[in-house]
Amino acid sequence: MTQPLADGVGVARAEHFESVAQQREAATLGIWAWLITELLLFSALFLVALITRIQHPEATVAAAKHLKFWIGATNTVVLICSSLTMSMAIEFSRMGWQRAMVRAMLATAALGGLFLVLKGYEYYADWAEHMMPFLSGRPFALAETPASRLFVNLYYVATLLHALHLFTGIALLLGITWMAARAGFLSRHQNWIEVYGLYWHFIDLVWILAFPILYVVNR
Amino acid sequence: MTPGHDSLQLWPAAVSATASETDWLILAFTVLTLLLTVPVFVAITYFALRYREGSEADRSPSGIRSNLIEISWMLIPFLLTLIFFVWGARLYVHSKNPPPDAMVVEAIGRQWMWKFQHPTGQSEINNLHLPIGQPIRLHIISQDVIHALYLPAVRLQVAALPDRYTDLWFKADKTGTYHLYCSEYCGTDHSVMGGEVTFMNPGDYQEWLTHAGAQQGKVAAGRALYEAYGCAGCHEPGSPVKAPSLAGLYGSAVTLADGRTVTADDAWLREKILNPNGDRLAGAGKQVMPSFAGRIPADELGTLIDFLKSYSGPAAGKAADATPAGATR
Amino acid sequence: MSASGTIGGTARREPHTPESTIGRKADYLHAESTLRSWFLATDHKRIAILYLVSITGFFVIGALAAGVVRLALVVPNGAIMTNDTYNKAFTIHGVVMVWFFLIPSIPATFGNFLIPLMIGAKDLAFPKLNLTSWYVFMAGALFTLVSVVLGGVDTGWTFYAPLSTAFSNTWVLPALIGVTIVGFSSILTGLNFVVTIHTMRAPGMTWFKLPIFVWAHYATSLIFLLATPVITTALILLIAERAFHIGVFDPAYGGDPVLFQHLFWFYSHPAVYIMVLPGMGVISEIVPAFAQKKLFGYRFVAYASIGLASVTFFVWGHHMFVNGQSDLASLVFSALSFAVAVPSAVKVYNWTATIHKGSLRLDTPMLYAMGYIGLFVLGGLTGLYLATLAINQHIHATYFVVAHFHYIMVGGTVLAFLGGLHFWWPKFTGRMYSEPWGRVSALLIFLGFNVTFFPQFILGYLGMPRRYATYPAEFQLLNVLSSAGATILAAGYIFPMLYLVYSLWFGRRAPANPWNAKGLEWETASPPPTHNFLEAPEVPRIPYDYPIQAQESRDQHG
Repeated sequence: MTQPLADGVGVARAEHFESVAQQREAATLGIWAWLITELLLFSALFLVALITRIQHPEATVAAAKHLKFWIGATNTVVLICSSLTMSMAIEFSRMGWQRAMVRAMLATAALGGLFLVLKGYEYYADWAEHMMPFLSGRPFALAETPASRLFVNLYYVATLLHALHLFTGIALLLGITWMAARAGFLSRHQNWIEVYGLYWHFIDLVWILAFPILYVVNR
Repeated sequence: MTPGHDSLQLWPAAVSATASETDWLILAFTVLTLLLTVPVFVAITYFALRYREGSEADRSPSGIRSNLIEISWMLIPFLLTLIFFVWGARLYVHSKNPPPDAMVVEAIGRQWMWKFQHPTGQSEINNLHLPIGQPIRLHIISQDVIHALYLPAVRLQVAALPDRYTDLWFKADKTGTYHLYCSEYCGTDHSVMGGEVTFMNPGDYQEWLTHAGAQQGKVAAGRALYEAYGCAGCHEPGSPVKAPSLAGLYGSAVTLADGRTVTADDAWLREKILNPNGDRLAGAGKQVMPSFAGRIPADELGTLIDFLKSYSGPAAGKAADATPAGATR
Repeated sequence: MSASGTIGGTARREPHTPESTIGRKADYLHAESTLRSWFLATDHKRIAILYLVSITGFFVIGALAAGVVRLALVVPNGAIMTNDTYNKAFTIHGVVMVWFFLIPSIPATFGNFLIPLMIGAKDLAFPKLNLTSWYVFMAGALFTLVSVVLGGVDTGWTFYAPLSTAFSNTWVLPALIGVTIVGFSSILTGLNFVVTIHTMRAPGMTWFKLPIFVWAHYATSLIFLLATPVITTALILLIAERAFHIGVFDPAYGGDPVLFQHLFWFYSHPAVYIMVLPGMGVISEIVPAFAQKKLFGYRFVAYASIGLASVTFFVWGHHMFVNGQSDLASLVFSALSFAVAVPSAVKVYNWTATIHKGSLRLDTPMLYAMGYIGLFVLGGLTGLYLATLAINQHIHATYFVVAHFHYIMVGGTVLAFLGGLHFWWPKFTGRMYSEPWGRVSALLIFLGFNVTFFPQFILGYLGMPRRYATYPAEFQLLNVLSSAGATILAAGYIFPMLYLVYSLWFGRRAPANPWNAKGLEWETASPPPTHNFLEAPEVPRIPYDYPIQAQESRDQHG
């Protein structure tokens, strides 16, 4: 680990590890390995979106014009702020400031929730504009350019998958916060906060990739 | 040369120069395979016997430098196989570049039939007649899923894709009748999506175009459509759906559910195929037949009805069918 | 290093003599016996047994489906069953065997059981995650079985679009969801192995002291981590395409059906090495043990594992030579595919050289290993036929391909699995199986396998396409021969199931090291105690420290 920890902050060794250092190293390597697989999952999706863009430039641009750029941009800022609060939570956990850490984590969860609300509103606006081509009962606004349907649908797959990650992330975060509010948490499981923080930053990173690929390059 | 009579055949017929060269390539590769594998097999067997536990074999270290051995058994087989990469690639590139004067035959794959159209306009279903001594380019597309046209006699196959054309070219130099397959799995009747390719002398081919191609193939083509569109699946006797038999239907009187009686003529059959929900039959079960409107092109509907005119039942139908399809199976 | 309570910290101990048996209550099998203690087990050894039982179940399902396929092909005209039944049978065979047997087979059972033992650890790094991955695996299996029970799937295990998305009228969705879920189980297992091998090695267990089995699993785990996410994306898109017609693989909306094949094979070619590499690891343990000689060219074999795992990411296009891919791409993929021969040859020649001047015992595991080497060589070289462009244009999608990959998957992976199962059975269960029955079964399987699949090479070159419910009459003789071979093979599979289960109750008690083999897993009791080692094992000076040492190995490690 990079940062020195305050007194009374640390990790309780699980039975099958030989040392705390080994346990922390395993946890860090594990989360990084997981994040690499997650990144590949999204990369394949973004690659398909880029292939679509190359194969059908006009239809893609026409469809991308319907995306709510400003909601996307606001959401980018919201997630960057949430990464900041998550980093603060990690820092507080290292210093042993448990209450500040719990508050920072709640703020992070709240910002994540705000993102989902804004995203939900964006989906609603798409619905109102007939921009949901996968709904069989509702005619698609850009039906005359079939390939635009492709891009719009990929947008839904990518953003829904991201929203699913974020939703899971918020649920996990609230769970950890609930446990982290208890006395003695930081002396036993400080590394949970570090490991979880990496996952949260990753969710943020995926959106920071998705926003330009879906909203910006096609304008 | 009709395939299918020998119970066991050990080498497939090759009808083009490329096919023969592919055979040489694979024979040569097999020789290399034997050179690389037989020593391993012999060595393992010999060592297993010689160095059995308790045998009096010499087990002193051989003192061979292992890096040298490792590198040689990495590189020598690899370089030997690369010869075959080059040979195979050369043949492949040749088979991918048709000469400009090739005769173009259009091929359309569809669940579960092939339709071929000759440059002079004649078309045939599942079977293909071609002249020898002339480069031929098959221009292939699919109307639904991915299929693949496979002609073992020329050692070639290529996918039939739904969104773009692919090509397959060859120059046959032997007459005869050989298999024609779909080789990309395409659903229920994948294994019957095929027929025969017949290579003919150019004169015979012209003869075929003017006579057989235009006339005799028609009923066979209609039967192929009857099977390909799934009519046979429900309307043949013994099918699970128990739809009314179509044998001898043409020209007969049909009683409808509303009491009228109509004659099953061209126009009525056409309407019934396109709009099965109209003109309910008397005494029939639930109407389950899907509409074929938009699914069957006009010319094929005509061919199908022509077939129904002459169709008198499964056995008789096959006998009346003048194509050699029976010979393949 | 702030070590608290390390075992390795107390450094050297006096030479360790393993107990042949430990108190029954102390071994992992008998520590607890409630159902709950099994279904909530976090001990890697118990989870390995959970996997072993489940994948054996899937093997039986897949084998029954194969039996249906071989039965149908006894007659050429499809008189035995309808085309749809046949298509569903080969699809179920492929889906179950690939996704639910071959991929988890060796890693999730032997890997799970042995990696911690071999590196001298108490467990995998994340025991709860390990259990989770088994539950995820079973959840995926449940979806797939539901689709089979409801009426089956007829798309082939490859799920090619647009057949699977727009044309098939069978239960494709549950099967796709099941396969997607199983991918996550692979990812979790791979992640656990990578972290364990990196961080949990006993003091002194450096990378070049690791058994090849561990190297092979490390390489496999990297493939799990780097390739599986791509197939997950492909399958998610396929599910969305089938359920909502999103258009990515549908030409009507400008989508590209061949794109699915690229995404699919980007995973599924590396997946071949997920199935093959662990088998190579098993053989690399068995051969030195039964030759009582150090593995020849240890470092080369270790590097070859990593080499295979790397090259395999660049050859996926060789599955699509005839599918309208550009000629240049085909040339490049063909050339790269030939490069796979290099690390494969390294392994085979090194195993052969290991036997040279050894002291051989031809017990059951060794018979399987020798069968493996022979069949893998044939399977590998016929792979080069398929990589040769001009030959591929003829034998692509024929029975030649079927024969080729069965030589790799059955001749390779299944034989290695059975060899490993017999080799480590005493360690897993504490019992010895019947050696005569083991040898007879190994020979039966080798014979039955060759009679089943060698004729298929000929059928392929004669031009019989694969996945055909009916076929021209001239191919009947070879098909009947193949089906006859399948019955011998089936008998060969049934015997081990019987005598291995019998041995659980009536087998002779196994000593800690029945084969006189090297490796830390043999340093502990059979079956091992819950935390693997009662005292910390001593890591040997060199790996494969057998009595007969090749001169060159001393050069390298001395």
